[in-house]
Amino acid sequence: MRSIRHLEETEGVNSVGTLLEIRDLKVSFDTEEGKVEALDGVNLKVKEGEFHALIGETGCGKTVTGLTILGLLDNNAKIENGQVIYKGIDLLKLTEKQLQQQIRGKEITMIFQDPSTSLDPIFTIEEQMLEALENELELTKEEKLKIITEELRKVKLPDVEELLKKYPHQLSGGMKQRVMIAMMLSCRPSLLIADEPTTALDVSTQAQFLKILEDLKRETKITAIYITHNLAVVSEICDTVSVMYAGRIVETASLKEIFLNPQHPYTYKLLHSVLGIETDIEQLQEIPGSVPKLINPPSGCRFHPRCEEAKDICKTKIPKLQEISDGHFVACHKRVMEWTKC
Amino acid sequence: MTSEDLSYEQLKKEIKRLKRKRSSQVNLVWKRFTKNRLALIGFIMVSIVIFMAIFSPIVSPYDPYKTNPLERFKPPSMKHILGTDALGRDVFSRLVYGSRIALEIGALIVLFEGMIGISLGLISGYFGGVVDKVIMWLVDVLRSFPIVVLALAIAGILGQGVINVVIALGTVGWTSYARMVRSKVLTIKELDYIEAARSIGESNLSIILRYVFPNVLPTVIVMVYLMMPTALIASATLSFLGLGVQPPTADWGSIIAEGRMYLLKAPWISTSAGFFIMFTVLGFNFIGDGLRDALDPTSRRN
Amino acid sequence: MRTHGNYIFRRTLRALFTALGVSLVAFLILHLAPGDPVKIMLGPYATEENVKALKARYNLDKPLYIQYFTWIKNIFTGEFGTSIRYNRPVSELIKERMGPTLILTGSGLLVAVILGILFGTLAALKKNSILDYITTFQTMFWLSVPSFWLAIVFLYIFGLKLRWIPIAGMTSFSSTILPIMTIGLRQQAWFARPMRAEMLEVLSQNYIKALKAKGLKYEKIIWKHAFKNALIPIITMVALQLPWIIGGAVVIEVVFSWGGMGSLLVGSVLSRDYQVVQTILLFISLAVVAANLLADILYTLIDPRIRIER
Repeated sequence: MRSIRHLEETEGVNSVGTLLEIRDLKVSFDTEEGKVEALDGVNLKVKEGEFHALIGETGCGKTVTGLTILGLLDNNAKIENGQVIYKGIDLLKLTEKQLQQQIRGKEITMIFQDPSTSLDPIFTIEEQMLEALENELELTKEEKLKIITEELRKVKLPDVEELLKKYPHQLSGGMKQRVMIAMMLSCRPSLLIADEPTTALDVSTQAQFLKILEDLKRETKITAIYITHNLAVVSEICDTVSVMYAGRIVETASLKEIFLNPQHPYTYKLLHSVLGIETDIEQLQEIPGSVPKLINPPSGCRFHPRCEEAKDICKTKIPKLQEISDGHFVACHKRVMEWTKC
Repeated sequence: MTSEDLSYEQLKKEIKRLKRKRSSQVNLVWKRFTKNRLALIGFIMVSIVIFMAIFSPIVSPYDPYKTNPLERFKPPSMKHILGTDALGRDVFSRLVYGSRIALEIGALIVLFEGMIGISLGLISGYFGGVVDKVIMWLVDVLRSFPIVVLALAIAGILGQGVINVVIALGTVGWTSYARMVRSKVLTIKELDYIEAARSIGESNLSIILRYVFPNVLPTVIVMVYLMMPTALIASATLSFLGLGVQPPTADWGSIIAEGRMYLLKAPWISTSAGFFIMFTVLGFNFIGDGLRDALDPTSRRN
Repeated sequence: MRTHGNYIFRRTLRALFTALGVSLVAFLILHLAPGDPVKIMLGPYATEENVKALKARYNLDKPLYIQYFTWIKNIFTGEFGTSIRYNRPVSELIKERMGPTLILTGSGLLVAVILGILFGTLAALKKNSILDYITTFQTMFWLSVPSFWLAIVFLYIFGLKLRWIPIAGMTSFSSTILPIMTIGLRQQAWFARPMRAEMLEVLSQNYIKALKAKGLKYEKIIWKHAFKNALIPIITMVALQLPWIIGGAVVIEVVFSWGGMGSLLVGSVLSRDYQVVQTILLFISLAVVAANLLADILYTLIDPRIRIER
């Protein structure tokens, strides 16, 4: 049972410039096969105005992280531990009603992977976009229409008046995804969570979409968590990168640092076995072994069964994310030991 | 594996592999079924009814045909668990013997429906084309009639008697089997080993019997348990309306009809007969649902 | 070229073929009778002349296909034959009885659909709760008992024991309640389960998450979006269940002595009044064919994905 709190500062005061901080988040799922420990101590800091990439293979928990922030998890999910601090408030302690009224849409919003299933098929674009502005009671319908028309123009959608009267199935994937962005941003949220928004699009549409995101970033200074497994996209628009493996963040650093100086063995393998940056993480077969099933995860560092540098301590003790150089965090016993020696 | 590459030996090997896969699947299905409590309860319920039917003379305390003018309309008591009817006969005994008729009729109907439905479904699905269209047209036509209504008309015209009820319901109810079987056949039809068998010249009949039918069998088995309830209720309805069994033989439907005349005086007659029907039908429904879930857990749950 | 109009045309054509088949069945039923149908109709005391006369009158001495076409032709002129039992034109009987049956079946269907949709939706919203299990179980329960028995039990409880409702005939408004509720309560089971399944399916869709992420209120998400989406396939279901609802109504008419086509049908079958039987069979099945056609067309009009072609 969450206790009711007013939207005021709690004990988890953010450090300067940090918009969202996830502390030690543990989430498990109750499934037919057993208890899946999807997130086991996720730590993430997102600074204002940055595009923070969250990368990892399928099943590592990146989508779950995004859903947890907005309280969109399924009923069989259990938040075992942790805090999600946004502008000083722990989102996990809010009730569903508070989340709906005050956070979702206005402060934080999310766009999803498959545009063809993200819009209700039996309502027009206009109806659905107007819905996003529903809580703005001071605006008249005409004013709202003006706003949504403007939003749609911003994402470079053609023939906006025609478009509004159409139904989702009449639009292409790329157009739908742009409608989604326009819709979700129309309330001017501060944080956007993008869950693999370009995965379902073809390459040229992807490029278009990224350009729109870039423009948005520049014009609105919005903060975003960009969940993906596509390294090319990451390199284009993200400032910071967090690498996720089996429910934990294993490394966080600036874009430059991650690509030029990856520290965690997993990150290193990931990036260096990529033949060119165009390769998708999903296509990597070169790391021996496979992502562990999270019903019975490995003890200690979850990567140790596949790690060539694994020591005994890696099997027993969970490595914590530690700062080894300015802004560069890694969760690896060996690396931390190496860095503290110098 | 293209059909040119396969020799007869390879075909046999493929079939053996599939048979082994199927037996491990059967194990899995069995496990899932037995875990389902409702299905097990259903199994017990149906077993009770079968037991009652087979061992009626032992289970029933009285002779169901023995009339006793002194004991008419006695309410349920220690002496007569479910009371007596208009002729002083023990209701419970009559109902126990009624289970024989119910199960016999039900089984015959399901058998009859099944034979027609499965054959037509196999033919329709396997051969396709005009044959398929004609059979499906027939299915559409029959499904435009309520089962009881059409069977009522047919049985009424054929005359009294249990056989006519069976024939009537059988010729009207096979459509569900046909559709299920046909859709299953459509999914199996394009499988590699069927193509292979065809290419080495096996006759259509042989292919259907040796490969297609065994794959359709699980679906059919589930259908039987799901169609029994309909057969039981439909035959009870026809008996209630006066067709079917002739006195003094009584099945549950005709007992309800008798009881209806004395509803105020002796409500236990009609009521208890209905509970017997409900018990049996629920049992079959539980089993049928359990089987269906065991074979395809994704079909109902979410 | 697949267009909307094309679909309607093909679907209607199919319905016409089915209607043809249905008329054939209704026609041929009469000729199933073992032995001479006329002799059976007239009973054991008929003389040879009676038989011959009746045969000529009903064209039963002509080949089958001529009889069929004559019958069809007559139908289009409103000539359905004569009832031997009542000695009146069948069309008159049908006219009298159609109203009550429509009231019963129509209201019963309405009650069933409303209750079924409601139960199904609530069960889906409170999945795996007590309410959910009760709903699932009650759907099984209602379908495990014959309608006529249900009618008798209700008749006993509410009519005889509690005396809330008159027990026979169509005397007043209160006499309609019991038969309609019997149909409604039993047949809602046909709709509750699919509605629950559809709701659950819809609720697992991505756009529900997107609606939440937009900040939409829970009630709006459920009733404005999920419910409407789930309802669409249920429309075709309603037409599919129509034969079952009619079947139940027929027996219920008998139990409650309701003067509709159902009780007429049963009486006519038992007294071998074949022309009546034929006609009623035809009416019922054509109604079902029409309802299915309507439902399919309606579906294409309601679901925007099908309605609007690119």
